[in-house]
Amino acid sequence: MTDLDTLAQEALAAVAAADDLEHLDEVRVRFTGKRSALTGVQKAMRDLDPDERRARGQALNAFRSAFQAAFEARREALGSAALATRLEAERLDLTLPPRRLPPGRPHLLTQVEQEMVDVFVGMGYQVAEGPEAEAGSYNFDLLNIESDHPARQEMDTIYVDGFDDVVLRTHTSPVQARVMTRQAPPIAVVCPGRTYRADAVDATHSPVFSQVEGLVVDEGVTMGDLRGTLLAFSRAMFGHERRIRLRPSFFPFTEPSAEVDVSFEGAAGHHGWLEILGAGMVDPNVLTACGIDPERYTGFAFGIGIERVAMLRHGVADIRDLYEADARFLARF
Amino acid sequence: MKLPLSWLTSMVDVDLPVDELVDVMSLNGLEVEAVTFPGAGADGIRTAQVVHWEPHPDADKLRVVRVTADGGDGEIELVCGAANFAVGDVVAHALPGGHVPGVTGPDGGKGLTLSSRRIRGVTSHGMLASARELELGDDHAGILVLPGDTPLGASLTDLLPIGEPVVEVAVQADRGDHLSVLGVARDLAAILDTTWHAPEVPAPVAGPTIPVTIATDGCERFVTWALEDVTVQPSPLWLAQRLVQCGMRPIDLVVDVTNYVMLELGQPLHAFDLASLRGPSLTVRTSTGGETLTTLDDQVRELQAGDLVIDDAQRPISLAGVMGGLDTEVTTSTTRVLLEAAVWDPRAIRRTSRRLGLVSEASSRFERRVDPEGADRAVARAAQLLVELGSARAVGTDRVDADPTPDWTRPARITLDPARVRALLDLDLDARAQCALLTRSGCAVSPADGDRLVVTAPTWRGDLSRPADLAEEIARLHGYDAIPTTLPTVDVTGGLTPTQRLERQARALALAGGFHEAVTRPFVGEDALVGVAPSAGRVVLSNPLAKDASAMRPSLLEGLLQALRRNVGQGRAGTALAEFGRIFRPVGDPLASALDEVIAGDWRWRDPEGDELPVQPRALGLAAQGLRIGPDWLDADDRWSVEDVLAVFDQVAARLAPPDDPSWRLARVPTERDGLHPGRTAVLELHGHEVGIVGQLHPSEADRRDLPEPVVIGELLLEPFLAAVPDDGHAPVPALALVKHPALTVDVALVAEDRVPYAELEAAAREGAGDLLDGLWWFDEYRGAQVGEGRRSVAIRLRLQSPDRQLTDTDAEQVIEAVAAAADRVGAALRR
Repeated sequence: MTDLDTLAQEALAAVAAADDLEHLDEVRVRFTGKRSALTGVQKAMRDLDPDERRARGQALNAFRSAFQAAFEARREALGSAALATRLEAERLDLTLPPRRLPPGRPHLLTQVEQEMVDVFVGMGYQVAEGPEAEAGSYNFDLLNIESDHPARQEMDTIYVDGFDDVVLRTHTSPVQARVMTRQAPPIAVVCPGRTYRADAVDATHSPVFSQVEGLVVDEGVTMGDLRGTLLAFSRAMFGHERRIRLRPSFFPFTEPSAEVDVSFEGAAGHHGWLEILGAGMVDPNVLTACGIDPERYTGFAFGIGIERVAMLRHGVADIRDLYEADARFLARF
Repeated sequence: MKLPLSWLTSMVDVDLPVDELVDVMSLNGLEVEAVTFPGAGADGIRTAQVVHWEPHPDADKLRVVRVTADGGDGEIELVCGAANFAVGDVVAHALPGGHVPGVTGPDGGKGLTLSSRRIRGVTSHGMLASARELELGDDHAGILVLPGDTPLGASLTDLLPIGEPVVEVAVQADRGDHLSVLGVARDLAAILDTTWHAPEVPAPVAGPTIPVTIATDGCERFVTWALEDVTVQPSPLWLAQRLVQCGMRPIDLVVDVTNYVMLELGQPLHAFDLASLRGPSLTVRTSTGGETLTTLDDQVRELQAGDLVIDDAQRPISLAGVMGGLDTEVTTSTTRVLLEAAVWDPRAIRRTSRRLGLVSEASSRFERRVDPEGADRAVARAAQLLVELGSARAVGTDRVDADPTPDWTRPARITLDPARVRALLDLDLDARAQCALLTRSGCAVSPADGDRLVVTAPTWRGDLSRPADLAEEIARLHGYDAIPTTLPTVDVTGGLTPTQRLERQARALALAGGFHEAVTRPFVGEDALVGVAPSAGRVVLSNPLAKDASAMRPSLLEGLLQALRRNVGQGRAGTALAEFGRIFRPVGDPLASALDEVIAGDWRWRDPEGDELPVQPRALGLAAQGLRIGPDWLDADDRWSVEDVLAVFDQVAARLAPPDDPSWRLARVPTERDGLHPGRTAVLELHGHEVGIVGQLHPSEADRRDLPEPVVIGELLLEPFLAAVPDDGHAPVPALALVKHPALTVDVALVAEDRVPYAELEAAAREGAGDLLDGLWWFDEYRGAQVGEGRRSVAIRLRLQSPDRQLTDTDAEQVIEAVAAAADRVGAALRR
């Protein structure tokens, strides 16, 4: 057994015994560094005869490669152990709830309004807006609602003080009148917005509510176009299997007029109809009042309560919940 | 309008189960609101005669009664609490085992099933029922006493249609003809293509009656029948039952008959006590005002010029078409009756009814227009019933017509183009089919030139006056379900405008800041916090719903603060709310001047004549209170700050403004405002004018509102930004070349008096950095011995970059010196 063999045995034992990377590096310096025993063995080779020197050189190389292989293997083992330790130490319980993201939510009425508007925008409509404190002429007169017409009384109008005839608009139809008096057909608009009636607040009534009204005026617009449009809308909002039915009704601004029901399928095969909107063919008097020739153009109009759609779709039982700004309600949708 | 089924089917040939009938009606223009069954469940109730009664031996207010049904089952004893009957009276006897619907049962539910039971020692075999207990009326003062000729031992449900369906129809504003059984029957006949029939009535009687003069517009026809030997007595049960089913209260035969005929035929009637008329004649005239009339409801009414009245040559005796006078009303001693049916101008009746706030069964029919040809029939029908039921004798009839016939009664002659109807409805109905449908409605149709038709509406259909009305009638009778579903092909490019798209983006940005969107009712009371451009101006409501909702909101803040309070009341540790909406100020308010300064075009809403409507710009309001983080993070003590509000407004303004235009940056000017913290409030200015405000609620204001501090608020007018968006949108944002040379970071510290706002220090830093500035932010603020009392040091980091070269220390030194020089001009020194 030469001293080199002894050295090799010691060195490999030391590599095997190194329990972390720092230790392992110490072992490397101790056995192969400039001041190591190996350096002594190398220096002593100068004194050997050529044959012995060659043999010793081969032994030395064997030692070096054996050491290097053991060292690398050990370093890799220790490295993955260290990484595993770190990964273990860094473990997070991701089932703990995260700190919440801050964003607030758009109001349910906004969400439903935008969805409704977008359905019509997708069908080629523009969006028009108007004032909420509105001239009686736009809210009533141009819409064929004469001052002593029973329908005008039934609208429970809230009037603005200090003006001859300014009201809180009872519907968004005055926006349609504004559009028709300014723009020649073809017209395809929806008018979303806040509207008002002198209704006391309870679970189903609100003095403030919201509508999306629509108006199409062009040559050759038919009641079939109205029915098809409302069917497309109802399916987009309530589901593709829905059907609609139109029932004759009366509105001063349309003739023929209709109340529109959408079908529903409830639990246990229970099915029926829910009233969702009013609609009709634009009354010729309205077209004439707004400067459009009723002999040439026809049109249809409809008005949809956003609250009604929101309440039906989301099961909101009390309309007051929409206007109380309770953060639990706001954050829900 | 409530329609007992037996009454309705007496005038129209219909044989459908009720649920099918209701569907047919609702789908064809007779909207059914409800179907009720008054008296349903009544069972085991038979007519019987009182044989004997005596006071209950052991109860003051009870009687022990023996009745017989004359059916061989002898006499039955029972106990009764009523005292309105005598031996020989025919009564309704509910037998043990029978069911009485109008009594609250032992379980609190509706209806009671009877059994024999002992009442203070006497066994009562059933009960004697009142009208209310049988749901035949409201009367519960005594038991029901039936007419003496009522057969004994008969089941009450065989005598009367107790429990039959009563169909309630919602009457549309233009369908006054639906306010009668006849009217609904007629329409149902048109819908079902079947026949209808009005009751047969007697012919006029030649003989003496009172002369009538029509001395005004507004009355087209006035028909009278004089009756003598009238016995004013209770109505027979069948008639009373129908009134009750229709929601009216039986009073006496004469009044009941006028009401019955009104319900049956739609024509309101009035009965005068002939003996109480003072003059020899009646005049229909217009009041000149200053007169009074005590109406049947015992109210003294001040008449106004224009009210239509009937005058007995000495005084007004009836408010025409609205309500009769008390002095000439029929009483129990009346024997001579003048029945009157007239046709009044709907507009006149509406006016008087509105002014007096007096809506009667008559006025609600007249104001919707009655059939001008219906008056004769109605008054004859009433006379017929009084002769039949009240042993009256008709002595004379008269009818006076206005000359010439007024326009409002004439049926319209309408020229109809069937091709246009077909096109409008998209229904494949030729002229013949359209003609057939209109004929069903009672229209007279004849051919005119070309393919056109001339249509004359029946006298009862005032709503049919134009081709569009006929189109609806055709569609309605044919059925709306036959209309196809197509989509219009309209040559319009749809979509949101650039402004509308920006509005949505602004909303999303505000909500991304952690604020939930609220929608509040936009009404305020006297005491409301005013936000941007404050003024005392209010858009006041003439008929507000409540005192604390007397005006439209001048600002979004009040509604938001009240919403915060409600959330605090729910025990929430923190809430942040945003609202998008219009705020309202009167014409000429300072807010209008502020908008004029920052909006180039006409932003005002106007009526068709060009007059201004109230100022109502769109705004964004924010309000937050308490903890930023929800209660599920108990360790977090991060509270909402006024800076959060500022941050949102900066983002929103930057998104809405034209790109790369620093003149649209909001300037912050510290200010003091009522209700806000004097050291934590700033006005936001655009082009030097106030467009917004941010602040923290003053501690005493927060306390007054019972809101835990801190409470921060802000309001920003969106209108100036939205109005500035061109029709085709702001110019596209140009891309910037991404500079490859690394940026150079330079920190400067500027020392100045405390009162010098940061905005000025930042401006100095910007100026010093010049074109090389790529970005800038403050990162430290220091007060203390090193800078001296009343002074502060603000550290600002500048990121410098040049598109074409690598910056060097020399550049940094030049910038620092330039910042120092600029700082010097605002009274600040560079801290070296």
